[in-house]
Amino acid sequence: MDFSLLGFGDDGWGDEMLRGAVMTMAVAICSYLLGIVVGVLFASLKLSRLVVLRYVADFYTTIVRGIPELLVIYLVFFGGGALLRTIASGLFGYDGYIDLPLFITGMLCIGLSAGAFSTEVIRGAVLAVPAGQIEAAKAIGMSTAKRFWRVLVPQVARFALPGLGNVWQLTLKETSLISVIGLVEIMRSAAVASGSTKEPFTFYLLAAFLYLGLTSISNRGFLRAEAWASKGVRYS
Amino acid sequence: MKKLSLVLMTLMATMFAGQSFAGDWSKIRIATEGAYAPWNFTDSSGKLVGFELDLAADLCKRMNAECEIVGQAWDGIIPALQAGKYDAIMAGMSITDKRKKVITFSRDYAATPARFVVSDKSAMASFKTGVDAMNLTEVDAKEKAAIDDIVATFKGKTVGVQTATTHENFLREYLGNDVTIRTYDTQENLDLDLQAGRVDTALASMSYWVPLFESDKGKGMMMVGPGMTGGPFGSGVGVGIRQKNQDLADMFSKAIDGAIADGTISKLAIKWFGFDASSKQ
Repeated sequence: MDFSLLGFGDDGWGDEMLRGAVMTMAVAICSYLLGIVVGVLFASLKLSRLVVLRYVADFYTTIVRGIPELLVIYLVFFGGGALLRTIASGLFGYDGYIDLPLFITGMLCIGLSAGAFSTEVIRGAVLAVPAGQIEAAKAIGMSTAKRFWRVLVPQVARFALPGLGNVWQLTLKETSLISVIGLVEIMRSAAVASGSTKEPFTFYLLAAFLYLGLTSISNRGFLRAEAWASKGVRYS
Repeated sequence: MKKLSLVLMTLMATMFAGQSFAGDWSKIRIATEGAYAPWNFTDSSGKLVGFELDLAADLCKRMNAECEIVGQAWDGIIPALQAGKYDAIMAGMSITDKRKKVITFSRDYAATPARFVVSDKSAMASFKTGVDAMNLTEVDAKEKAAIDDIVATFKGKTVGVQTATTHENFLREYLGNDVTIRTYDTQENLDLDLQAGRVDTALASMSYWVPLFESDKGKGMMMVGPGMTGGPFGSGVGVGIRQKNQDLADMFSKAIDGAIADGTISKLAIKWFGFDASSKQ
């Protein structure tokens, strides 16, 4: 270990690694939020009465959960830009070079996979709410919106949070895969720094600590959120 | 599942094939790995530097082109070229028949021999063959004996090599039946295992070893056996370009010819590698 390599400024790699960590967090948060939105959407499709919608949602979760994340990244990275250019030249006659920004590509890839996992978590959480409660809410004359916000959402949040916490950890770690497309997050910074200084230990170890730091801090956040969501529940 | 990926692949392939690229090369996008010192790497301020960065700047000036250099991980550096993310690759990439099936190359600008490296305490540390340098494209009797020597010496050993390199191809072709081959995604991981004794020897380019041995990271390791070029090692390192852009490859070749003729490349090679790794006319 050579700690002098980790300085900030032009002589050390500390600032590069820190910038990588910020990028990792940015991609992870954006992908995660995208994943939650996609998850809510597809969970409702899965619980829909229409068979077609259920099939659409099943198709998505089966594909995305069934193929390796790295392959998803390659498909979006290599296919996305080409698709965009085909559309641009086909519809608008534009023949120049256009491409999805790396950040968007990475966010789409990780968000797609986070979405598939969140779909299952949210679907399970909705099913975990006892049907009797909805019936009781109907019986006392609650409107659909009220039933949704007052009965369903608080309980779904409580049931889904532990699972969504896992999805978050997965998402955060999966961002390391997008280093292959050249987005400079923790892994790519570490690879570049170790390839350039020939000190792989220093930088991969630092990367491990950065990930560990990010996951354990966010884990605490999720524990607090779980406690908050369960505040109306008494465990006997 | 298989069907689906096949459909996707075909779809993507037709899209790539359907793309047209204008022959205007006043602007060229060049990809490099940025993590393969001294060929191309990143300094601690985050700037891409190295032999190929200097060379690219020189070649672009000769071609009157404005060049943009992009960093791209080695995995997928060829598919991303095919997908049009950039127009050229300068990343210490050897010209091989296998790669020529999918992309085209400019003429070579550098050629560095491959060498085996072992721990200086190993029994193989004194390994020498009858020749110091050999070209595997045409092998004479002496060189044949040297190859047999290599096979005999490393028989039953574990050899480490970076994956998807010409060095791996050489091992598979010449030593595949006699040694255990371990592949690594990066050269650094291989170095770690060589130092840990998990592999008995490692094969890589001399352009990688020489600067390593000049620093204290090469402690306890040494090069043995002959320097090997040609054959599976390809015909030197060149600029990788999409097959449909032969005109760009020709532009690069012409610029490289000029840079070899006036000694620019050999000057840059000595600056970055410590020995003249430039291609000859």
